[in-house]
Amino acid sequence: MLRANAITKRFGRTLALDGVDFEARPGEIHALVGENGAGKTTLMNVLAGSLAPDHGEVLLDERPLQAGSPRAALAAGIAAVHQSPMLFERMTWEENLALGGFDTGAELLDLAGVAARARALAAKLGFELPPAGTTVENRSVAERVRLEVLRALSFNPRVLILDEPTSVLAPSELSAFLDLLRNLRAEGRIVVLITHKLAEAIAVADRITVLRRGRVVARTTPAETTEEKLAGLMIGEIVIQPDASANRPQPGEPVLQVENLILDDHTGHRILDQLSFQVSAGEIVGIAGVDGNGQTELVELLAGVRRASDGKIISSGAMAVIPQNRDLDGLILDMRLWENLILARPLRERVTSHGWLNTSRAIDLSRELIERFRIRAPGPETIAGALSGGNRQRLEVARAIASRPRVIVAHNICRGLDLAATAEVHRTILDFAGAGGSVLLISSDLDELLAICGRLLIVSRGKIRETNPNERDPERLGLLMAGARD
Amino acid sequence: MLSSIAKPFAALALACALISIVLASLGANPFSVFAALGEGAFGSWYACVDTLVKSTPLIFTGLAVSIAFSGALWNIGADGQLTIGAIAAGAVGTHLGDFPHAIAIVIILSAGALGGAAWGGIAGWLRARRDVNEVISTIMLNFVAVQMLSWMVHGPLMEPSRAYPTSSPISLAAQLEFYFAPSRLNLGMLLAVMLAAVCYVLLFNTSAGFDLRAMGRNRRAATFFGIRIPALTIWVMALSGALAGLGGAVQVSAISHRLYEKLSPGWGFEAIAVALVARLNPLAIVPAAILFGALDNGSQAMQRTQNISPELVQVIQALVILIILAFDTPAWSGLRENIFGASSDDAAAVPPLAEMPDA
Repeated sequence: MLRANAITKRFGRTLALDGVDFEARPGEIHALVGENGAGKTTLMNVLAGSLAPDHGEVLLDERPLQAGSPRAALAAGIAAVHQSPMLFERMTWEENLALGGFDTGAELLDLAGVAARARALAAKLGFELPPAGTTVENRSVAERVRLEVLRALSFNPRVLILDEPTSVLAPSELSAFLDLLRNLRAEGRIVVLITHKLAEAIAVADRITVLRRGRVVARTTPAETTEEKLAGLMIGEIVIQPDASANRPQPGEPVLQVENLILDDHTGHRILDQLSFQVSAGEIVGIAGVDGNGQTELVELLAGVRRASDGKIISSGAMAVIPQNRDLDGLILDMRLWENLILARPLRERVTSHGWLNTSRAIDLSRELIERFRIRAPGPETIAGALSGGNRQRLEVARAIASRPRVIVAHNICRGLDLAATAEVHRTILDFAGAGGSVLLISSDLDELLAICGRLLIVSRGKIRETNPNERDPERLGLLMAGARD
Repeated sequence: MLSSIAKPFAALALACALISIVLASLGANPFSVFAALGEGAFGSWYACVDTLVKSTPLIFTGLAVSIAFSGALWNIGADGQLTIGAIAAGAVGTHLGDFPHAIAIVIILSAGALGGAAWGGIAGWLRARRDVNEVISTIMLNFVAVQMLSWMVHGPLMEPSRAYPTSSPISLAAQLEFYFAPSRLNLGMLLAVMLAAVCYVLLFNTSAGFDLRAMGRNRRAATFFGIRIPALTIWVMALSGALAGLGGAVQVSAISHRLYEKLSPGWGFEAIAVALVARLNPLAIVPAAILFGALDNGSQAMQRTQNISPELVQVIQALVILIILAFDTPAWSGLRENIFGASSDDAAAVPPLAEMPDA
């Protein structure tokens, strides 16, 4: 039995956890749900020993764990999979996994043995592993999470804690992953699943604990609750999903045209294969696909960070790009909020004359945007890294919209966001399109795309294809995403 | 703000305390040693001025380092850039006899700045176009610059009598004059202080400076938002080199008046310490450089009166750096990472910060 007693953790003036009690029994999947900033990740870090609580203690089988020692937690059999993958960028995936339990601990590092054991476990889980000897830095988010799950499982842990692992998995991988969790449960292990996908929690969990603002607000079971009830408990109010069909104007003239776009990497491997599509004014076009099928490269081409091998991108107006990786590509976490806003050229131009930066004008502009987009921050001078995930995303969306583009290209913008924050981002995107803007929404979350996109494209292995309205059921789309040809 | 000023002094105090233990255990009186050090640095009008003169090259190189470091370009080559700047100044300076003083000064200083800019620019180009780590290239270029100076004073620029390995003195017109002679206080110090203000404005009040800082904090995001990293890299390294080269030219024009081997006692390396103590803030470079200049200057008096080796001051300086690196500031995590082989644009370099909840 894993038990946390009266855990309190404070960050500066923020009370992240306020006397939280939590318990999970052997042979159970315990879902931990809550909004961004509710304290889920903090609780996980306390359980996994990477954070020492201010008060309270963690017990495994009634034996207290040494606080703030991941090593002690691991030795006791608690392994964690973190939301942002904790991998070594410049090392190969085999080397990364060698840090897990695959290594036999012999004097000489047996990378081949590590790889073989990893492949065996991956095959059991239905995971695909990257080519041998490739470094982590160029792998997609989904691939990284898979590596982390493998690394955690390699310890053969008694307790496995997973922080939002499924948000980056493909539909085809998801059911296998949930089966895996069930297998682990059947073996008598304790599985703690942190998620914001309520359907998933209800489908797989035995018990559900709901956190809100650092407190446990409910302990329930799937039989006793529904998605709507859980959502209500999490945010304290009912979320109104945006209605995609309402008030949508007819699409206007084409604004963004992509013609026969080809991208080869330096080894000659084809990443994007003759992509052609267009986005019209007032239209939200979705591109669905499993991560790692060329989406990141497409976004980089559109942003002008990369050069295409062949083909054309024609945009009849300014474009704002919201990259998928908020913390690495989208924001500069140790710069101030106003500095992050003026990273965007159009906003910078508004506060610059003849090369001189008018700081006070930039701060005023930022104050205005903070208010308009309801970014919860003490002020423009706040360091971006002090914001929660949801507010970081609001910051990115605010920056894109305030840049007054004709096209917004957004990649996985709601990943890791809770229901309320997701709805708000969608509302903002819909308003933008309603006012005649064009949106290209690239996402691996089908529900999101089905909810707000007018047209839906599927990308698979660098090829793109448009879906018909009659193909819009998740099963068919899942097949297409997995690369099925008609 | 207060703590950012207090921290370097706390580090200095701690370093002195540690040194005191060593001094006391060797039978010396730490108080009289430090008193001699202070006396040598600030004990008289002449000592004060000499401290300022010794600080001047450190301000130039300190600014060079802090500008490059602000863009996460780890320029370890300020010494080489200063040396090339000095060579350019020394070579041009002997031919300026027919020019009016003001114009000769402008020419000799420009020559130094251009020489340094070229030297820094090479490392910038290598980084931008060939992906050569600038730490390696700038260190290597230091060796090349030192040997080039040695060759120059033994060869092409050797004085006519061929008796000494030095160049001919530069024209009188190209010499920065001393104020308050016989003290050696000169216009170079004023120029250095003005440049510190210019660098500050450049970094914090211009759009280009913002690009530079953004590149320094997160290269990937900067790329995403249209900052042209390769071009900026070359410009920043050239600017950094120009500042160091200007320091070399000022030294030749005002103090040495000629070239000789080992012109720089390591100003380009001490500059890294200066920039660190100043936390890369160009305005703070001035007091930080004066602090280090004072330690250098006072060390000689310390040797004379207390019979303590002047190298002790280098130990103090090194301890200050170690103490600050050990206890201070995420801005330096990039350098720490770099020393251990990872580049500053890795995911790992983005520090995890405490989350602020939505409510």
